[in-house]
Amino acid sequence: MKTRPVAEQKPQARPRLVDGQLFKLALLGSLSWLTANQEEVNRLNVFPVPDGDTGTNMLLTLQSAVEDIRESDAKEISKIAALAAHGSLMGARGNSGVILSQIFRGFAKHVQGKAELTPAELADAFEEAANAAYRAVIKPTEGTILTVAREAGKAAKAAAANPDAGVDTVVRAAARAAKTATDNTPTQLAILHEAGVVDAGGFGLQVIFEGFLKTVEESDPAAVPARPAGSGKALPAQRSLELPEEGWGYCTEFLIEGRGMSVEEIRDNIAGMGNSALVVGDEELIRVHVHTNEPAKVLAYASGVGTLARTKVDDMSKQHRVILDDTVPAEPQGNGKLAVADAQRKRPNGVGLVAVVAGGGLTEIFKGLGVDAVVEGGQTMNPSTNDMLKAVESIPYDEVLLLPNNANVILAAQQVPDLTEKKLYLLGTRTVPQGIAAVVAFNPNRDAKANQLAMAEAANQVQTIEVTHAVRDTTANGVKVKKGDVIALINDKLKHSGSDYGDVVSLALKDIKPESYELVTVYRGDGAKDKDLKVLTEAIGRDFPGLEVEVQDGGQRHYPFILSVE
Amino acid sequence: MSTAEQQADPPGVLRRARDRGRIEVFPSVVAAMAGHAAVACYGVMGMSARGLRDGVAQLLRRENLDRGVDVHEVDGQLVIDVYVIVEYGTRITAVAQNLQSTVRFEVQRLLGVPVGEVNVFVQGVHEDTPSG
Repeated sequence: MKTRPVAEQKPQARPRLVDGQLFKLALLGSLSWLTANQEEVNRLNVFPVPDGDTGTNMLLTLQSAVEDIRESDAKEISKIAALAAHGSLMGARGNSGVILSQIFRGFAKHVQGKAELTPAELADAFEEAANAAYRAVIKPTEGTILTVAREAGKAAKAAAANPDAGVDTVVRAAARAAKTATDNTPTQLAILHEAGVVDAGGFGLQVIFEGFLKTVEESDPAAVPARPAGSGKALPAQRSLELPEEGWGYCTEFLIEGRGMSVEEIRDNIAGMGNSALVVGDEELIRVHVHTNEPAKVLAYASGVGTLARTKVDDMSKQHRVILDDTVPAEPQGNGKLAVADAQRKRPNGVGLVAVVAGGGLTEIFKGLGVDAVVEGGQTMNPSTNDMLKAVESIPYDEVLLLPNNANVILAAQQVPDLTEKKLYLLGTRTVPQGIAAVVAFNPNRDAKANQLAMAEAANQVQTIEVTHAVRDTTANGVKVKKGDVIALINDKLKHSGSDYGDVVSLALKDIKPESYELVTVYRGDGAKDKDLKVLTEAIGRDFPGLEVEVQDGGQRHYPFILSVE
Repeated sequence: MSTAEQQADPPGVLRRARDRGRIEVFPSVVAAMAGHAAVACYGVMGMSARGLRDGVAQLLRRENLDRGVDVHEVDGQLVIDVYVIVEYGTRITAVAQNLQSTVRFEVQRLLGVPVGEVNVFVQGVHEDTPSG
């Protein structure tokens, strides 16, 4: 975890009060920082159920919390906090998400009726937020997000006792205590110690405090309209429902990947092109959020700085109309999106196919093979049971074969049969190649039961090698791995590590008795480099001349290469 | 997975055939495990006696946790019903889903027997009163 060097304090820039707008900006800072750390939080997740989705769940919950406050001009912190509490409640996912929503709820309750908070009041609110979180559990487990929330609140309170304390002092104390508490979690919870990780939810909350701190430390006094003392009552807050003259512009969000980028310089430039600009990150990865009338200009500038990813431009006038129409916003995007295949002729056996897949190329492959509906999801972005249920319900068949294609998805998939009237057959496919092999074995003239057996058999015959990078040092299955190493998983189990794609893949292929197979299909992931692909395919050609190699565009995240050996 | 169960077994006893003899676990043990896992779940304020008497959900005392749990076997798999009281103001669907996955995970971890279903019955909500 990088800690931000504490700059020499500039008293003139220190906010003395937190109002609604500063709180809103700070939460947006939390959101950006959590977005940047989402994967790391996912990786840490071993408790209470090691399903690797804590980061995603916390992020979706926080996204839902800030959804309504993004466009709010409310100056009162009570209003912004209430919106955040409501949003997080409605979008809470997973254990840590529910706890996070209780934290927001406790905070909002405590600041009810307040327009702004002094540093001491802010510290009280942090503490009360933690207390509220504790009240919703009878047997709190220490060494979790709860502990981290409590320690952060305590430290904030202690820091606020100093009469010179500013808002930044209090938030800094909370963020630091959150980090210390997170680092301590393995001493409190044995399973964390065993796995050699800190608590995922605790770390997530630490990240949320850190993102909050970044904003508070960097907040420009001009952005926090300081109300001159004795100026009497402020003007009534403008109703946010009036359309500003220049229109709402476009909410533009993207990531810039590059090398040696200057966050400050990019922030200055982007801030000049719109408002509500939020530019956070480091030299290699920067997240940008800005409201602008000229998104094309912003994107053109940014693409000159580095490579753009996850670009999202929303017309805010449209969003606003949606809010006015009182339309219920759709489920959070990006997870479990539904892509239903074009209407096609029904099969003779009346059996439909639904698959869970991550990656544009893979979606095309599965659809090309005749899968009726694809649920987007997979490693670290597990679709919910509901996402799968919707897909199952959306297709015109009463009997459905469901392929989870990921070990982490199987659990959620097991719930689907209880929720649908349709007859559901679940296949235990744990990897993408298993899923493809199974779909290929599907026979539209045989009944569902016979197909289920044949498909499971086919899935068992294919060997899967997944190649990716280690995100932290660890030891698993007796394999020692250093952060950044190339690692290979054979059928979902970590087997080899090294520094070179070619070497690692050769070792993995050796393990699975290459002489009994003929074809290696390489599914190329999102962000896989040409030169790595070349190294990998050349190594296979050199070490295993008997194997034919075929490359397909998979577009999956996290795994630059997935190899199917059959 | 579990094909060891025979019809001749006395009802209500879980069995797993092992190489070196038999292991029997009584449903009340499974219920206790499930109950302990459930009350450690965030948002769960207590177990409640199954079924409502006079429409009033009754919060069970600590030592009676297993009374809020029903365990039965269907096709050789465990089906666990848990009856709970949930904190007011939490997203109940999320709490219930967490409860399902935690109970399933804990029972499978402790017993090594696959759990077919975990059904959650929210019998009431509890509203917290800030103390201080």
